[in-house]
Amino acid sequence: MATTLVLGALAVVLAGPFPWGLSRWRGLRRTPAAAMLLWQSTALAAVLAALGAGLSLATERLWEPPVTAVDVVVAGLAGAVTLVVLARLAVSGHRTGTALRRMRRVHRERVDLVAEVDRGVSVLEHELPVAYCVPGMTGARIVVSRSTLTTLAPAELGAVLEHERSHLRARHDLVLEAFAVLHRAFPRWVASAAARREVEVLVEVLADRAACRAGDRRALASALLALAGSPAPAGSLGSSGSSLAARVEVLRDTRPRPVQAAGVALLAAAILALPTLLVVLPWLAGLR
Amino acid sequence: MGELEQAVLEVLWGLDAPASGREVHERLSGRDLAYTTVMTVLDRLARKDVVVREREGRAFRYAPRLTRAAMTAELMHEALGGTDTDREQALVSFVGEASAEDLAALRRALDELA
Repeated sequence: MATTLVLGALAVVLAGPFPWGLSRWRGLRRTPAAAMLLWQSTALAAVLAALGAGLSLATERLWEPPVTAVDVVVAGLAGAVTLVVLARLAVSGHRTGTALRRMRRVHRERVDLVAEVDRGVSVLEHELPVAYCVPGMTGARIVVSRSTLTTLAPAELGAVLEHERSHLRARHDLVLEAFAVLHRAFPRWVASAAARREVEVLVEVLADRAACRAGDRRALASALLALAGSPAPAGSLGSSGSSLAARVEVLRDTRPRPVQAAGVALLAAAILALPTLLVVLPWLAGLR
Repeated sequence: MGELEQAVLEVLWGLDAPASGREVHERLSGRDLAYTTVMTVLDRLARKDVVVREREGRAFRYAPRLTRAAMTAELMHEALGGTDTDREQALVSFVGEASAEDLAALRRALDELA
């Protein structure tokens, strides 16, 4: 019984209050790489704990004789809930993955048809400045509009391109996709929306950091101002305004924080490792 | 293949009316392409929904679905997001919408860095 309770409690905490608290901790973004680890390990541990709780409840009811009818029903219910969790994840993963890949392929195909390629960057002939990337296993693209090339100074353009290259190199799209899958599978009751939003900010912060390492912060900040400040056609805007505010906040102070980074990374490792060591191994050993 | 598709689309954009495969092939005569190659490319473009084809007698006539400017505008529209969060995620933008406060904070940060 103890195993089920511990894993169940862990799943609840890791799916709700813990990520909720993390999303309020603004300073966490100042160690973006460690923060990213922590978010990923939290999400993974929450899913594993939930599955583990269901499985352990089912097994402890069936493994110890005498097995009564009640035991069978409880085990059946626990097994069913576990399967539902798995199925939701699988369906959401499949839907999200196929939709994203299709949208990216269709977009990329048309970019290749109308854009002019200039030093590895696809250039769209348009008077609004934009810069974005189309991620993908094969044939990722960095796309800018002509107006971006004419508006930005060389250092600014360099920062923008380095930012986008860093997204593609680090496969940030896969992290975003994983959290989108989680959010779609469990849109309510758990802090999946907060987690997704925070991870979206973190990939931008990480790409900004990469751009700053290659160039200077000022160039990146003025490029952000030039591209964010441009008027976009009405009704065609995304909603990442708050993400820009967060990026600026982090950009103002990029002093390294080794202690926080180490602490957060350690916490990330502990969240995954401790439940496994303390609960799951003894439970597995007890099954024999 | 991509470069060839671009060239064929270029030809169609340069014409006022839908063209037959034969006509497109003629206009690309400088490239020494087989007629069947041009037809394959036209088919691919039609499958990508970039080119529309209409039957005329026993053959097809091909026309671009959008002008070059309209196709660029369509891509820009997708890149700038819209309300569709999935689409927003499909393409990773350098920077999205900015509120007046965001821009003010950005300007202050820029002054500090100077």
